[in-house]
Amino acid sequence: MENIYQPIEGIIEEVITESPTIKTFVVRPQEKFEFRTGQFIELSLPGIGEAPFTPSSDPNIKDKFDVTIMNAGKITSILHNTASNTSVGIRGPYGMGYPLDTFKGKDILIVGGGVGLAPLRSLLLALFGRMPDFGKVIMRYGARSPGDIIYKSLIPQWQQKKNFDMVVTVDRGDETWKGNVGLVTTLLKGLPINMDNAVSIVCGPPIMMKFATLKLLEIGFKPRDIYLSMEKNMSCGLGKCGHCRIGKYYICKDGPVFTYEQLKDLMDIWD
Amino acid sequence: MNTLYLREERYFKFLDELSREYRVYLPVKAQGQALDCAFGFKAATADYALERYSAVPKDEIIFNEYRTIDPLKSFFSPPKEKVASNFGSPSDIPGDEKVAVFGVKNCDLFSLKIQDFVFLGGAAADPFYEKRRQNILLVSGDCLNFKEVCFCAALDIMPYALEGFDLNMSPLNAGFLVDVGSDKGKEVVKKYASYFLPATDAQLSARQKKREAMLKRLKDHLALHNIPRKEVIPDIVRKGYDSAIWKERMLTCVECGGCNMLCDTCHCFLLSDKKSGNVNEKVRSWDACLYANFTRVAGGANPMKSRYQRLRNRYLKKFDFFPANINLCACCGCGRCIEVCPAKIDIREVLAALAKEASAADGKV
Repeated sequence: MENIYQPIEGIIEEVITESPTIKTFVVRPQEKFEFRTGQFIELSLPGIGEAPFTPSSDPNIKDKFDVTIMNAGKITSILHNTASNTSVGIRGPYGMGYPLDTFKGKDILIVGGGVGLAPLRSLLLALFGRMPDFGKVIMRYGARSPGDIIYKSLIPQWQQKKNFDMVVTVDRGDETWKGNVGLVTTLLKGLPINMDNAVSIVCGPPIMMKFATLKLLEIGFKPRDIYLSMEKNMSCGLGKCGHCRIGKYYICKDGPVFTYEQLKDLMDIWD
Repeated sequence: MNTLYLREERYFKFLDELSREYRVYLPVKAQGQALDCAFGFKAATADYALERYSAVPKDEIIFNEYRTIDPLKSFFSPPKEKVASNFGSPSDIPGDEKVAVFGVKNCDLFSLKIQDFVFLGGAAADPFYEKRRQNILLVSGDCLNFKEVCFCAALDIMPYALEGFDLNMSPLNAGFLVDVGSDKGKEVVKKYASYFLPATDAQLSARQKKREAMLKRLKDHLALHNIPRKEVIPDIVRKGYDSAIWKERMLTCVECGGCNMLCDTCHCFLLSDKKSGNVNEKVRSWDACLYANFTRVAGGANPMKSRYQRLRNRYLKKFDFFPANINLCACCGCGRCIEVCPAKIDIREVLAALAKEASAADGKV
C-alpha cells in the first residue's frame, strides 16, 4: 500500500529574494514529481512542520519547481532563514488546478493581488506555452505598495509577449512610482473582452478576491466563468483531515480552484 | 441472512479458540458517568469499556446492554500514531494482526459508513485505516437497554444491527442468536462450526419480539426530547445559520474537545512533524473543530475565531457537509458527546431548539 503521508525529498537549489517579506525557493525533487498549474503541494521541513504552497513555476519544467513564499508564520519564517542545499519534504500535488482545456478559444482575464501573483505566474507560464489555444490574455495586478510587487524583473519581459496585456497598479505609490495608483478593481472597466466567450481568474488576499469577484459580476462575467483560488489551512491534502472545509467542499480535494458558481450560495466564503 | 445459535456455556470456549487467531477485544463493566433524564425517565447507569480478552478475568466479561464508552473509530485510526518518517525509509504500515471486536452496536456500525467514506474515499485511501479495516472482525450485538443519552432511533438508526457487521449476537434464553453478515463472518462460523446450532423459527420470532419491545421503550424515552426528524435536520441547521442559539449554547463550553474525541463519526486529525532522535516523524493525532486554532492559517487569520462559529461548524459538518456528499447525517445518536460534555451542551437539545426556531420563523411568513 502506498503511504499517502510520506513526503519525498527535495533539495532547495536556490533562494531568490523577491521583496523584504517574500522569497522564491527553487526546489529539485529527488524523485519523479509533476504538477498541473493551480495544484498545491505540502512542503515540509523534516521534523519541524509542514504547510501548503502553490508552485509558481512553469508546470512543463519537470526536474524542478519554484515556490514563492511570504514570511507569515512559523514554517515560513524558518524557510526564509534557510539556505540553498537544504533538504525539504514534498507531498502532493493536490487538488484540481486550473482547467486550461476548458479555456480553449476563450479570452482570459487574470486578476491578481499581492503574493497571489505566485500561483498566477505558474498559470501565465503554462498559458504562454500554448497561446494559440486562447483568445486575448489580459492580466491586471495590484499590490499594496511598489515594494510589495513581486517578480519585478519578470513583469517587463511578460509585457513584451504577443497577445498578452498586463497592467500593474499599487494601492499607495511612493516617490519612485510612476505607474497606476488605485485598487486593482479600478482596472477592470472597459476591457476589450467578449464576456460571452471569456473566463476570469482571480487570486489574491480574501478581501481583494471578494471585491474583484463583485466587480467581475458587475462588468458581465457569469458566475460559472469566474475562477477563484481559495485557501484555508489545507493539511492532509486528500480530503480527510477536515481543516479546509468550505460548505460541501474540501478546498484541498475539490479545489483549490473553484468557479464562483460553485461557491456563491455558500456562507462566509471570504473569511 | 444465515442465523445460528451459540449456547452460553460454549461462549468462552469459542472465545478461547478465536483468540488464538485474533486479538480479541470485548466489553467489561467500567466506571462511568450516568446522566439523569431531565424528564424523569429511568435509564441505565452502568458503563462498558473494551478490553483485551486475554487481559481480563472471565467473570468480568459481559454482554454489554448498550454501546461502550470507546468509539469504534479508535480501532481504525488511533488517537495518535506515526504515519511517516525519514525520506526513503521503507513504508511500514501497521495493522497486519487480525483483530476481533465484540460489543459493537448499531450506532458504531452506522458511524463506520462515515469513517469509511473519509478514510477509504477522498483523493486516495488511507493505508493505515484500510489495512486495519481489512483485518478486523466486527461482532455487533443487539441493545437490550439504553443510556439516558442514547438517541439513535430518533435518527432512524435501530438499536440492533441488520447490516455492516461480520457477526451479530442477540442474547436469547441461555445463549445467543448469531447472524452471519459477511464472508469474513462466514469463514469464522465455518471454521468453528461445532459451536453453532441452526437457529429455529421460534428463536427468531422471540428475538423479534424482544427487539420491538426494546425499540418501543427507547422511542417512549425519545418522544420526551422532541428531536427533529433526520430528514429535516439539514434544513433546520442551515436555516439556523444566524441563530442566537450558537452563541447561547457556547457560553458554557470550555473547549475541551471531548465531544469531538468521543464522537463516533468525527474524523478530523492534525498532522505534525517532530524529531525523535535521528528520525523525523510525521504524527497524526485526533483534532477537534472546537479548538481555537482549528482553522487558523499562517499569519494568524482564523475564519472561525469566535467560539460560536466553531460550535456551528460542528453541526454544519455533520448535518450539511455529509448529507450533501453522501446523503447521510454524520450523527449516530450514540450520545457520547452529551455524556462527556462538562458544559452540558446537548446535541438533542440544540437540534430541538433550532427546530423550534425554524418552525416559528416559518409561521411568521
